[in-house]
Amino acid sequence: MRRAFLILWAAAGSLFGQALLVRNTTVLTVTKGTITNGDVLVENGRIAAVGKNLSAPSGAQIVDGTGKFLMPGIIDCHSHTAIEGGVNEGTVSDSSMVNIRDVINPTDINIYRGLAGGLTVSNVLHGSANAIGGQTIVIKLRWGKTAEEMLFEGAKPGIKFALGENPKRQGYPSSFFSQGPAERRYPGTRMGVEQVIRDSFIEARNYQADWKEYRDRVARGEHPIPPRKDLRLEPLVEVLEGKRYVHAHCYRSDEILMLLRVADEMGFKIRTLQHVLEGYKVADEIARHGAGASTFSDWWSYKIEAYDATPYNAAIMTRKGVVVSLNSDSDELQRHLNLEAAKTMRYGGLSEDEALAMVTINPAKQLGIDDKVGSIEVGKSGDLVLFDRHPLDNYSKVLKTWIDGHEYFDRDKDLSERTEFARKKKELMDKEKAAAKEVTP
Amino acid sequence: MGGFTRLCERGGMKRRFGLILAVLLAAALRGEVPSAIAIQGAHVVAVHGPELAHGTVLIRNGLIEAVGENVPVPGDAWVINGAGLTVYPGFIDALGTWGIPAPAPPAPGRAAGAGGTPPATAQPEPRVRGPEDRPQTYAYERAADLVSPSDSRLEAARAAGFTTSATFPNRGIIEGLGALVDLAGERGRDMVVAQPIGEQIIFRVGGGGFGRSFPASLMGNIAYVRQLYLDEANYREARQIYAKNPAGNRRPEYDHALEGLSEAPRILLPAQESQQIDRILRFGRELKVPFVVYGAHEGYRSIDELKQANVPVLVSLKWPEKPKNADPADIPNERDLEMRERAPEVPGLLAKSGIAFGFYSDGIESAPDLKKALKKAVDAGLTRPDAIKALTWNTAEIYGAADRLGSIEKGKIANLTVTRGEAFDDKSTVEYVIIDGKLFEPSKELQKPAPPTGPQGKPAEGEVN
Amino acid sequence: MKKLCLLVAACACILSAADDAILIRDVTVHPVTAPVIEHGAVLIENGKIADVGSTLQTPSGARVIDGHGLHVYPGLINAATNVGLSEISSLRDTVDLDEIGTFNPELRAEIAFNPSSEHIAVTRASGITTVVSLPGTGGGISFSRNQQPTVIAGQGALMHLEGWTWEDMAVKPSAVMDMDFPQIRMVPAEYAAFIPGGARTYQEEEKAYNENLRQVSRFFEDVRRYQKAKAAAGPDFRRDIKLEAMLPVIEGKQPLFIRAEKEKAIKDAVAFAEKEKVRIIIADPTEIGSTGPLLKSHNIPVVLGKTLELPLRDDDPYDSRYTLPNDFYKAGVKFCFGTFDVEFARNVPFEAAQAVAFGLPPEEALKALTINSAEILGAGDQIGSIEKGKIADLILTDGDPLQAKTNIRQMFIAGREVSLESRHTREYEKWSKRP
Repeated sequence: MRRAFLILWAAAGSLFGQALLVRNTTVLTVTKGTITNGDVLVENGRIAAVGKNLSAPSGAQIVDGTGKFLMPGIIDCHSHTAIEGGVNEGTVSDSSMVNIRDVINPTDINIYRGLAGGLTVSNVLHGSANAIGGQTIVIKLRWGKTAEEMLFEGAKPGIKFALGENPKRQGYPSSFFSQGPAERRYPGTRMGVEQVIRDSFIEARNYQADWKEYRDRVARGEHPIPPRKDLRLEPLVEVLEGKRYVHAHCYRSDEILMLLRVADEMGFKIRTLQHVLEGYKVADEIARHGAGASTFSDWWSYKIEAYDATPYNAAIMTRKGVVVSLNSDSDELQRHLNLEAAKTMRYGGLSEDEALAMVTINPAKQLGIDDKVGSIEVGKSGDLVLFDRHPLDNYSKVLKTWIDGHEYFDRDKDLSERTEFARKKKELMDKEKAAAKEVTP
Repeated sequence: MGGFTRLCERGGMKRRFGLILAVLLAAALRGEVPSAIAIQGAHVVAVHGPELAHGTVLIRNGLIEAVGENVPVPGDAWVINGAGLTVYPGFIDALGTWGIPAPAPPAPGRAAGAGGTPPATAQPEPRVRGPEDRPQTYAYERAADLVSPSDSRLEAARAAGFTTSATFPNRGIIEGLGALVDLAGERGRDMVVAQPIGEQIIFRVGGGGFGRSFPASLMGNIAYVRQLYLDEANYREARQIYAKNPAGNRRPEYDHALEGLSEAPRILLPAQESQQIDRILRFGRELKVPFVVYGAHEGYRSIDELKQANVPVLVSLKWPEKPKNADPADIPNERDLEMRERAPEVPGLLAKSGIAFGFYSDGIESAPDLKKALKKAVDAGLTRPDAIKALTWNTAEIYGAADRLGSIEKGKIANLTVTRGEAFDDKSTVEYVIIDGKLFEPSKELQKPAPPTGPQGKPAEGEVN
Repeated sequence: MKKLCLLVAACACILSAADDAILIRDVTVHPVTAPVIEHGAVLIENGKIADVGSTLQTPSGARVIDGHGLHVYPGLINAATNVGLSEISSLRDTVDLDEIGTFNPELRAEIAFNPSSEHIAVTRASGITTVVSLPGTGGGISFSRNQQPTVIAGQGALMHLEGWTWEDMAVKPSAVMDMDFPQIRMVPAEYAAFIPGGARTYQEEEKAYNENLRQVSRFFEDVRRYQKAKAAAGPDFRRDIKLEAMLPVIEGKQPLFIRAEKEKAIKDAVAFAEKEKVRIIIADPTEIGSTGPLLKSHNIPVVLGKTLELPLRDDDPYDSRYTLPNDFYKAGVKFCFGTFDVEFARNVPFEAAQAVAFGLPPEEALKALTINSAEILGAGDQIGSIEKGKIADLILTDGDPLQAKTNIRQMFIAGREVSLESRHTREYEKWSKRP
């Protein structure tokens, strides 16, 4: 028995790689202050110690962090990275039967590019074409592994809602000045968006009741025909049972309130409001409901519902007690969320730790994974990023990124491999060219 | 001819007349040509059984009667001198549409194709509300009902040495029940060897998830197939329960699509890239149906997973190529370059790992192109015996028909491919194909490669070095 | 009575002198074209920079601003935007870009510049005093098989971000001629499904490209014929405003602002400039390839687009767009920064900062937001540095304006203090007070 345990323990150790000691660096724990000339030790994938003058176990990889800065791995609460075959299933009003988990593409180069920017965890979402969209998951950017190996073990799955302009566009009528789609898809107004959500949850309650009745009848010894298992309603039942988080894309204050009221009425919670650009107008209500807010640093004016957006949004909501994170919603932005976080120091005067929290511990809390990631604390995963300057300095860049203590990005290695990669590629291109020449008479 | 004269000479006029009538009728019903054929002294590659340097294959009544080194040739057999010839079991295309004629083009005067106006009377199909509307589902269609010897591609297929095809209907997501089909016959139903052999699934993804009808995204397609199988299980259970206790229960709705689905002994699922292969292996396991993976071009990255999954693979012969439409100033991705270079290695790697696989034409219809594609796999490391095995025995086994096809053994269907020289060699030709015991001599013209036209193959100006 | 008038007159003079003269002192001055002055001062008079130095005399009646260690920089310049011409990009009624027609040189951005656009104050709040406002957005992949590209969109203007009318705001109207050079842009596979009839093949794109090049050549020929006819002033001569608008270009007085993305387009544009003997600026290149020496030897400057972009190809190094500005710098090419948009025009300092993170010397980044931009756009004698005689476009900051954590405290445009309030700050003030 003991032997089996030792073998398992050793196997787990090999899964997470050798031990790691980052030495003599500025440790930005985010939750427990900053340690200058500090050390962080990672063993078996977890942070084993944070302090000064730590000793490394034999065989540990030792990284000299002198003059550098170590922060927790960055977490992006709104991402569409690494999705294959379409981010939206926009053809129906409620597409909750589809699941992002089915279409993760672990070979998407944007995962690597994210790592090169310090990104370690992404909340990968369905798009915003539907009032109720598809099921969503949280991944760790374990570049080189399979899709299933990227799943964040223990993170609750989610579902995407969308309010406002995007889910109603396909319902616009044609007019003299503009063309709606040839065949309109409900809803065409914000009122209809509310109805889709209420309708679907009423259906979900009925579905729950049907299944309960079926089980009761079976228990009584009857032989009823089972109800059809409906993949669209199953995740909605999970929402009602608190087993699935709701991440709702929204802009205007009226629709934010609408959704909080519908959720209260139906008996579930909104886990996060996404984009939530007018969240600052109803920050108290959001705080009271207990929803988190995941927003942009400074996007605005690209649509009319984004016209009242202000980059002070994050600061206002934070001061009112909402847990706020900054997200990317973009393969490009996800590479420098630390710089987005820095903007909250200008727009609202947040402190350095408050700014860093926007892309570390806050999104971790929103995703229910703050016991595992989001800060440099003993017991949490060894998800760490080493910068050459303070991460809130616009002249900074990432040197190394670790997930579970395993190095997934190293700038020096990346630079040194470029020549060999170019050579190998040229070889393939030359080979192809030569083969093509043979065909010519 | 001699026998007929002797018949006429014996007996009286009345009897003679009766006999003549009987023979004529027999001729009309069964064809005139006697069925016994012997190929003597050929190189015989039986695939299952010993390989013979000088062997004889004897067929009669559409079946293989004997195969061996010293098979006595009966007097009534048509003898083919096998010197310089190689006899293989008939090649089987593991997935395609051969045998199903292309739909007739629209009548002139009616606009056709994208951008044309549809006829005034046609109603647009109602928008699909979800999986319950069974979008793009033709699970009940049968290839066996659709095949016909009038398919214009059969001649070229035979010229490439193919005698048989695993033919599937070709529309929608759930495409229909396939059949093993011989590539010749008097009528469509004569061609069918075995059916249903499976259900083909294609993921129809386009428009970035904003198509007109569900499903438009890849996740939509996957969710749809998943729901279909849940519905199928529910349907079966519902019917069983209803059959025992109809009273008091709502009757299960008749569902055409689900009836078709439950008939399929296996399903065919698509995957080309390594992450798609990984995904499809998990998905197939989740559905709890026997399944086959088709495509497999990046399989060189997934050999271990395929081996572990113990699932048959169909490799597409349409090897990835540099797109003809590319901007010459554009630099391709290394991953694409690697796929173009290494995809032909996949069959060899599968064979070495003991993974059962077949080849499918994937839209290639000309004999020289098919030969070239097969040769590419051989040049990339697939042994010739393994190539032959893939084209014959493996495919028959994958479709559960190895008891009657796929090798030259006594009792099996007389489907043979006879080449002059060894198959796939540049100079070799397909001399004969025998299908259900009938002899065909494919045209040599159809086997000649087309002369290269235009600037294809010449490096374009301004190509980056 | 006379004494009273004199007194009133004296007061009036003092007041007007007080309006005009501002002394900013106890600040670190960053002139850009001269070394940094710690504990320095800047004197503004009549809208111009009257003096810069370590200690300056305070003219009588001048308003004095004690910087207490703040920094003074030249107002930053965004060398490529559509500010003033577009309010909400998804609402066509609010957008005045990309007029119909292939050659529209006579269109002028400044006359459609909306001085009430919310984007003006928003952009200004990040320390930007001047923008180039362009009438076009450049070409992109064509979503129709028969799309006729707009080649010359019109004239872009250099505009102060403060003023009652566009006339007040124009620093250099008609500063550049906005041109999208013919180039082959293949539609990526994932968009092909959206195009009725399918995407064009390479051969079709190449054919269209050659035809476009011919069209451009013919147009320039027409311009030269018009020039000749106008000079001869014969009886047949009729004024044509379109061809007329091109005369400053062929006379070398107005540069062509040529959008050229890839190496081939850049090379084509340079060859074109040589042939037609016109001055050009390369705008929004996405790669440098081997064009560095070519651009340097021809003294062709570059207006860079955003640094924070994804690499062009999957295999490109992850930082290939971040290092692009430094690549141009190392090749000796003069360049400045622009964002080629509206919503994020205020972030141009951060685009420059990212280039610094990946190699560009910080002084060069600052130059590429100030003096380089001014010189490339033909206003190098007016703005872009803190020098005597230049227009007083200045910002007071508590640090490096390329850093997000820095606050822009005060701004002066043409010597007048300008509010840093905007829609965004007003929302902040209002809703922070909600009980």
